[in-house]
Amino acid sequence: MGNGIRERGWIPLLFLAPALIGLIVFRLAPIGIAIVGGFLQQTLRGETVFAGLANYLDLATDPVFWNSVRVTLLFNVLINPFQVVVALGLALLVFRPGPGVTFFRAAYFLPMCVSLAIVSVLWNILLDTQLGPVNGLLSALGLERQPFFRSESQALLTMIGIASWKGCGYWMMFLLAGLYAIPDDFHEAARIDGANAWQRFRYVTLPLMRRPILFVLIADTAINFLFFAPVYIITNGGPAGATDLLMFQAYQSAFAYLNHGRSLAISTILLVVIAIFAMVEFRLFRSPSDA
Amino acid sequence: MRAPFAWLPTGLRYLTMALIALALLLPLYWMLISSLRPSDEIFRYATDFGWRTFFPEDLTLEHWIGALDAGYLRAIGNSLFVAFSTVVLGILVNSLAGFAFAVFDFPGRTVLFVCVLASFMMPFEAMVLPLYHLVRFLGWTDSYKALIMPEVASGFIIFLFRQFFVGIPRELFEAARIDGATWWQAYWRIAMPLTGPTIATAALMLFILQWEAFFWPLVAASAPDYVVVQVAIARHSNLETTDWGGMFAASSIAVLMALIPFLAFQRYYVRTIVQSGVK
Repeated sequence: MGNGIRERGWIPLLFLAPALIGLIVFRLAPIGIAIVGGFLQQTLRGETVFAGLANYLDLATDPVFWNSVRVTLLFNVLINPFQVVVALGLALLVFRPGPGVTFFRAAYFLPMCVSLAIVSVLWNILLDTQLGPVNGLLSALGLERQPFFRSESQALLTMIGIASWKGCGYWMMFLLAGLYAIPDDFHEAARIDGANAWQRFRYVTLPLMRRPILFVLIADTAINFLFFAPVYIITNGGPAGATDLLMFQAYQSAFAYLNHGRSLAISTILLVVIAIFAMVEFRLFRSPSDA
Repeated sequence: MRAPFAWLPTGLRYLTMALIALALLLPLYWMLISSLRPSDEIFRYATDFGWRTFFPEDLTLEHWIGALDAGYLRAIGNSLFVAFSTVVLGILVNSLAGFAFAVFDFPGRTVLFVCVLASFMMPFEAMVLPLYHLVRFLGWTDSYKALIMPEVASGFIIFLFRQFFVGIPRELFEAARIDGATWWQAYWRIAMPLTGPTIATAALMLFILQWEAFFWPLVAASAPDYVVVQVAIARHSNLETTDWGGMFAASSIAVLMALIPFLAFQRYYVRTIVQSGVK
């Protein structure tokens, strides 16, 4: 930056003020509130008192919280690599032009326009054990009906499935842009050297796609650590805590148990995790040369 | 001479593309078609799977008309009001800031701009629960303010405007200043009229963001008077409702309202979102 127009101090400030106030109040202040609120507790008489690390110590001995941590980590370990691989597959599939390819490309991002709330409502009905058409199809094919969200072993995987139904097309866009940025000569040179399709993918495409893939992986992880709507709408964390993700625990602590200290302590933990991912993402965003 | 079976890779590619498209589009088609058929038909052909699942015997608008009576009309109105207010305020506020970052030279500009960029790396969902306490403290719970204000200032949209304004030659503004124009006039009369595509993209992003908002409205303004469309639909589905038709009609409206502007501006929109990551 530099060589802008020098102006007396208050004019730039006037132009910036509304946006800066908005960002300070609604993006910065909540971080402070979460940190401070994590150290506060409410007494039975309704007074708010400083409680030191009590909320965090309570969490440390709470099996519900540890289950939630385990579920959140498992969810992220599964969903993020899965979505990146599927998104890369989709991008490679629609990368080369051909008749109708534009249609398929548009069809793949279409679900990203469907809000997560409606994705939840729709798939909850589609996958219903008794009334859902998916189970209708399974039994028409002579297969056994599946419980999906009602089964402890299937609920989290089903959640990953519906989130990916919506999300993979979105991440595909970023990877598609990455593929277009690779000069054609690279593939041509590899082809002349006798590399087959797999070798060209493994030794030309994949190394050059490292940056967009890393970006998608990190951005996707940051979002999925905060995954909430489908848990709230479909499973309420169940069955038996199988989908009890941390964001849902934080919400429940505040609005079901009215324990705001616990809720803000969990929010602070999530904020720290997200801040780490944001910093990595920011470095990728800022420095095009490395990585 | 082409080798035999040379069509095979292309055939497989098209088969895969078609099957994936089917898996993505069929649920949406089923939702739309279910909103247009009589209630007993929805249930019958969901359980009894066959070609009838996707091709109705009878079409009816009863659910679409009924959905408007079932409280969805209010929710759609609330969502539209919140979304349009956010678009208008958001374009004004963020373009002003983008203009300042692009045109003026003031101490701390680089540091401030980096902070603004950093703000959009933190997803808003992470702010929802602590922000609730702030909004409650301000006495804003269950109000339009609570729904609109937090989404007005956006680091990403400031960035978009800044990128656009940087490309306008400074001499244009300097000449206007010499002719006696104020900085507000330089911004409003010279810079903004050139900004069409950026305004369209920003408007679309803010509109879809608010139209699809769920977590924040659930927490901040869930009273019936202020309920937004996504929360209303989710709530109906939670009540073990048997009015699937009404819910599908409301969901179809909600999806179409986001889909139509998206498809209209798809090229701008996709390019802009992608810019945010692979710059």
